[in-house]
Amino acid sequence: MRIVVAEDLFLLRDGLVRLVEAYGHTVVAAVDTGPDTLDALVSHRPDAAIVDVRLPPTFSDEGLQAALSARRAIPGLPVLILSQHVEQLYARELLADGHGGIGYQLKDRVLDAGQFMDAVHRVADGGTALDPTVVAKLLGRPNRADPLATLTERERSVLALMAEGLSNTAIANQLFLSEGSISKYTTTIFAKLGLANDDDTNRRVRAVLAYLGADGHGDQ
Amino acid sequence: MRTPPGGNPLRWSIEIGLGLYRSVVLTGLTCVMALVAVPVAVGGSALAYSWSEGLSAPLAVRALATLGETLVVVLWVAVSLWVVHPLTSRALAKAARRCAAKWLDLDIQVAYRPVPPVTRMATGFWWDGHEYHKSESEARRRAKVHARFHDPQLHWDGLWALAASVTVLPVAALPLLALGYGGYMALTPGLTGYGIAVILAGLAGAPFAWRILGPLARRFLGPVPSTRLGRRVEELEAIRADLTQTQAAELERIERGLHDGAQARLVAMGMSMGAAEQLVDTNPEAAKAILAEARATSATALAELRSLVRGINPPVLAERGLVDAVRALALDASVVVDVLSQVPARPERPVESAVYFSVAELLANVAKHSRAERVKVELSYAARTLTATVSDDGIGGAAASTGSGLSGIERRMTAFGGRLEIESPAGGPTRITVAVPCELS
Repeated sequence: MRIVVAEDLFLLRDGLVRLVEAYGHTVVAAVDTGPDTLDALVSHRPDAAIVDVRLPPTFSDEGLQAALSARRAIPGLPVLILSQHVEQLYARELLADGHGGIGYQLKDRVLDAGQFMDAVHRVADGGTALDPTVVAKLLGRPNRADPLATLTERERSVLALMAEGLSNTAIANQLFLSEGSISKYTTTIFAKLGLANDDDTNRRVRAVLAYLGADGHGDQ
Repeated sequence: MRTPPGGNPLRWSIEIGLGLYRSVVLTGLTCVMALVAVPVAVGGSALAYSWSEGLSAPLAVRALATLGETLVVVLWVAVSLWVVHPLTSRALAKAARRCAAKWLDLDIQVAYRPVPPVTRMATGFWWDGHEYHKSESEARRRAKVHARFHDPQLHWDGLWALAASVTVLPVAALPLLALGYGGYMALTPGLTGYGIAVILAGLAGAPFAWRILGPLARRFLGPVPSTRLGRRVEELEAIRADLTQTQAAELERIERGLHDGAQARLVAMGMSMGAAEQLVDTNPEAAKAILAEARATSATALAELRSLVRGINPPVLAERGLVDAVRALALDASVVVDVLSQVPARPERPVESAVYFSVAELLANVAKHSRAERVKVELSYAARTLTATVSDDGIGGAAASTGSGLSGIERRMTAFGGRLEIESPAGGPTRITVAVPCELS
């Protein structure tokens, strides 16, 4: 895969580059500012990008803004956002375009190289890789007349793992259930949430996330 | 018998009885300074003037000696009053104020300096707002003594005690003296007629004499007359003391968070890695297990640092500013929160942070106490004032009692020249507004 890395701390940038290269991918650009990130994303059109939220020159959410603009120019450009903190607000903004190919993870997740590279792959394949923390927040928020409230405990945990971007097989392994029962659960979930059932797993996951992200609750 | 207008004999006797009673009370409340000063002056002069008795010297020298002795007596009187004043003035003035309120409907509000809270510093010492102390009880005691005896209101009360002893005391005591002296004369053969006349005069004066309290109370019993500037300086001093306290507490919280959290975990990680280094050749499996543990520890340390940072300067606030930070708060709240904003640009950073933490506190209160289902947060900026209003449909009854979160918000707002308004009738709904003057960037 061709990958762009945007991170301002030298040590972490270097570490990310090494990690990605150790897994046999090519880093086409390693940048450290917001404007450079946007340039690199648009000119290289990488298979995946790993972008820090907070970048120079303003040290605000430059990286996030660069990723959002790049995805406006190239819809579905796979971007994995890294941050020291995860916010529902940012997750909603990233998911709002409904194109998938989005990851949003705590920097801590880099500590587990295997899982982190898994997340990069899921994003590159057009799936999603949301941090469990933000998924828990998205699912845990209160809502009146929320179809989520009609889900059972088991269905909610299946939905949470789906939102993190796991496949039915991976979910089955994690919950110690058979793949068949997981697909039954997913069918029920989609029915309860009123989502059309089609065959493409990624599309369904994205649909769930778009549903979670797009109702604009608390955002006026 | 002709009744006086607006009254009858019964009423007159009640007035006289009441007047006598009030005269007794006022005499008691105003005689302390005189009771101290007069004996000291009399006894002191008897002693002092005896020093130069029988002195045979030129007139000028004797005059000088007498002058010196008089000054010594004045000094003694002043010292005795200065000793009595801090111990009695406050209680006497408070009692006089109660009398004025009851008898004359004079509502005089004064504020005595409150005892500041004491804070434990990171160094282990206790800060009472002025000095450090080794123990909490010592700090509390000193704070109390300092607040009590360095209170400008106390000295103003002292002036009341002094002024009253030369104005209220003689007038209020007059009817009582007339009764006493008249009674004595009436029992003396040959003066009975005069005695009765004096008693009657005393009785006639009784309903009026105590009224001297009115003008004197208005002049001397109120709050310390300080200039507006002086009052502002006091306010600012109080705010500064408050800020020092808050800051100290905040630093201590951060220090404790780092000390018990990240720091301890880094130590543990270092030790684990040392152990892994030892084991790596002899027992690679065990070394791997230890390293995995160390990695888990580093993740926990990161999580702790993250929550600590959130309490100091929330990342969304730094990255996006007030409005989005409040939206992020709303999303994380356990009740449904709608955010409406009409703030065109980012306010000054310190104000932004103060308003953010106030809104966070208000939302936490809503979740904890109000049993509300819907909450609305409105942010607006008009007339160079940033306003945040949090309203809910809960049970109401919110109040800024001391030590509550709301009084904390009030203090935070005062520091920026802002204010806190609470509308929260029992049964709800609650509407709390914080408003701070500020500039937008």
